[in-house]
Formats: sequence, C-alpha cells, structure tokens
Amino acid sequence: MRRLFYLVREAWTNMRINRTTTIVAVLTTAFTLACVGIFLLVYVNLRHAAGSLQEDVKIMVYLEDRFPSVKVQELEQKLKADRMVGGVLFISKEQALGEFQVQFPGESHLLEGLGENPLPASFVVTLAPNFRSPDAMKSWVERVQTMEGVAKVDYNQEWLSLLAELIGYIELTAIGVGFLLSAAAVTIIGNTIRLALLARREEIEILRSIGATRTFIRIPYFLEGAVLGACGSALSLGILKFAFELFRQQIQLTGRFSGIENMMSFFPLSVCLALVMAGMGLGFAGSVVSILRIGERRA
Amino acid sequence: MDAIIQLIHVSKWHDRRAALSDITLEIEKGEFVLLMGSSGAGKSTLLRMLIGEEQPDEGQIFVHGKNVTRLRPTEIPYLRRKVGAVFQDFRLLPKKSVFDNVALPLIVQGVSEKDIRRKVTEALRAVGVDHKNDQSPNSLSTGEQQRVCIARAIVNGPVVLLADEPTGNLDPERTREIIELFKLINARGTTVVVATHDPHVLNQVNRRVITLVQGVLLSERRIGQGIGA
Repeated sequence: MRRLFYLVREAWTNMRINRTTTIVAVLTTAFTLACVGIFLLVYVNLRHAAGSLQEDVKIMVYLEDRFPSVKVQELEQKLKADRMVGGVLFISKEQALGEFQVQFPGESHLLEGLGENPLPASFVVTLAPNFRSPDAMKSWVERVQTMEGVAKVDYNQEWLSLLAELIGYIELTAIGVGFLLSAAAVTIIGNTIRLALLARREEIEILRSIGATRTFIRIPYFLEGAVLGACGSALSLGILKFAFELFRQQIQLTGRFSGIENMMSFFPLSVCLALVMAGMGLGFAGSVVSILRIGERRA
Repeated sequence: MDAIIQLIHVSKWHDRRAALSDITLEIEKGEFVLLMGSSGAGKSTLLRMLIGEEQPDEGQIFVHGKNVTRLRPTEIPYLRRKVGAVFQDFRLLPKKSVFDNVALPLIVQGVSEKDIRRKVTEALRAVGVDHKNDQSPNSLSTGEQQRVCIARAIVNGPVVLLADEPTGNLDPERTREIIELFKLINARGTTVVVATHDPHVLNQVNRRVITLVQGVLLSERRIGQGIGA
C-alpha cells in the first residue's frame, strides 16, 4: 500500500516540481489533440448526416404509359418480393398530377394545355437498410431498368456518390492528421518526461543503489505520462465543446442553414471517455519512448 | 568459516589502464575489512563490482553465494537488497525527511507499513539520530547525514555493508564515531567492508586490512594480530 502511495506521490511530485513544463505539456497536447478532434467531429457529423440522407433516399421507378394494370400489379409483387427492397409505394398517373398541382400550384396551367395527363405512373421504392450504399443502389437500379414496363429509374446517384467520396476524403485526412498530431503529442509528452528523468537522475541512481527494480523506478514516469495525456485530452474536449457550441450558436443567430444545428451533435459520453483513454495511452507511449531513448542504465 | 565475498582473478580496465589487476581474495562472513589505498587504487571499482554496478573484464565475483558476473540485469536489484551501501557524499534525497530516506529500501521491497515504522525507528536509534526523523537531511550536520546514510544501508538487515570513503567528508572526531558505529554493526553479525585512504581509520581498526596500489593487491594483513601477507 505504501509502495503504491509512494509511486503515485512520486508522479505527483514530479509534476508539481516541474510545474511550468507540466502545464506547457498539457496545453500543447490539448491544442494538438483538439486539432485531431475537429477532424473527428466533422467526420462523425458528416457520416451521421450521410446516414440520415441515405435513409431518406427514394428511388423512382417510372412506368411506361401503356403498361397494363395487371402487369403493374405483377411488377409491384415482384418488387416487394425483392430482398433488397424495404418498401414500395405505387403512385398512379392521377396521384402524380395531384401532387404536382399541390407542389407547384402556379405552374399547373402548363399541364392543362397538353390535354392528356403527361405524368407517368411510378413506384417509389425504398431499399432495405443493408442495401443503401451507393454501389448497392446502382446495381439494383441497373437490374430494375431492364424489367418489362419500366420506362426510367431515377435517384440522386451523383449527389450520393459525391457525398460518399467527400466522407472518404475526410476520413483519410482525419487518419493522416490524427496520426501526425498524435505523434506530435507523444513527442511533447516524451520530452517532458525526459526533462523530468534528467532532473532526477541522481535520485534514480540512489534508487538503483538500494535495490529498486527498473519497473519500480519507471512507474512514476509512466504514470506522469498517462496523467499528462489524459489531462491534455480532457482539456482538448473542453476546447472542442466550447468551439462547437459557439459555432452552433452562430448558425442559430445568422439564421442561415436553419435546421442544420439540430443535425449537428457533439461526441457522446462514451466517445469522450474513449478519447480521454486514448490521450492517456498517447501519454503512456510518450513516457515509454522517452525512457527507452534515455537508455537502460539511467532508468 | 564461509566466504561471503569471493573474487577470483578479477581484472578490470578503464581506458586501457588496469583499474584492478588479477585480484583474488575472500572475505569471511562476519569479518570487518578495511580496503586501503590512495585515490585511483581501485577501491571504488571493487566495491561497485560487488553490487553489480560494474562488471569485471576477467575473473569471477561471488557475493552471498551468487555469481555477480553471471547475474541477469533483473536479478541485480535483489543482490543490492542484501548488500547495504554507504557513500562519501551520503546520497540522501533532500526533499524527503530523514524517516522517508531511511524507509526507502523497505518501500522498494514492499514491506508493510507497520514493519517500515518499526524497522526505520530501530535503524535510526542504532545510529543515534532517531530524534531527527522529521527533519530534512539538509538541516543535519555532515556527521548526522552520514549516520542517516548508514541507517538506510542497514535498515533491511543486509548480510554485507559496503562503505566507500564514508569518512571522506568528516573531521577526525566524527570519523571516530562513524567507525565505532561500523564496529557495532559488525558486532551484530554484518560483514563490513570499508574502503578508505584515511589513516585515521586505520589507527582505529584492529582488523583485516587489504591494501591496493594502482589496481594491484599489495598486501593483506591483520593489524594487532601479527598476520601479514
């Protein structure tokens, strides 16, 4: 018990004695991790938004004008039996016209001049959740397009592909930036621990001479690294949360992009905890690197 | 008698200069040995080898039945727990109290709180500084600091106590007190090896004296008992 207390107290004493270095290390780590966090936050929100948009994607299957109603029913059954299909809604020519008149009341006179209703009957198809990826949608559309009675299949393919591509780029950037800045955090904490080790090398020599094992000598420095990493990570989350709320408030104030603020969300508590743990891990890695670099004899 | 320390044809070079040259000697359990020699004679090198801080270039060293030259790095701390060390510069931690300094070897070994309190109090009492246990080492005189260093070396009951120039920073009166303390520790059964170049120490110890000159074992004798080598 006293040994544990000693090790924790040593780590705390290290940080207290090298107060300035400790504060600088926590702050720089916090800002570094906050930069990683920004990318992560943007990525998480875009993925969330993309997920919601993909759930809303409806595929319009327009039918040929003279397609017999018996065949329409057969096609509907066929679509409903498809394992990739989640829902099917039939819209007759009359319903299509009615909807057009409701949505574009000023333009309805355009159709009156044509005499016959030019709008085709259609099926509004929603794919099952497992088949909503752009690739799955594309292959399904290609298959349906060849079916008898289908005039055209329409969906926002380009838009969805673009969004998926954008998310992919952000994901890559987040990984790249995250890797680089995490390495920077490891270096910052590693240097802090290195300074602490150099400042206390006499003490380390004394501990070695009285029979302290390498692990016993190293534990306070590992603890210090882990605590610095965790504090830096927690502070970075604080900075991010503050910036996030400020951004959301600004959007509300300007009135632009209304509704987007409700779609935006901060990291859930579980992710916050995981990020603090990750910071702790980075700090620990920093101490390990530093202790290994400083050599076997001294620590 | 059993040899607690044994050196067999030990040699060590520092920058192509022989720090120790073909040393063979035995120290029996319970002996008090003075290791004499001027600066650079190889006394400190020999003591450092006994606690595994340095390895010989040739020969073998046995301490308490363990071949020090063959110990793995992870085994060396356990050897040091059996061999107490006293240094000329005391090597006390200034930011810790006298009590905490002496308790350190016990904390390292994971001794219980209750035993730490008892053993540290006993060790401080044995060296006569038990009334200073809350003070910082820097507030003590050099003689008292050396006593605290000795208390730290004996607190976990080592089988051997090594002292490297323990009186180097002390006046003749304090030197006498410290040597008397070593004699007392030796009388309780601990093997004591004191490395010194101080003739005052020689005058006070009627024991075995090993003299080193430029890394060579020059003589081995027992003062007052007429045994020469």
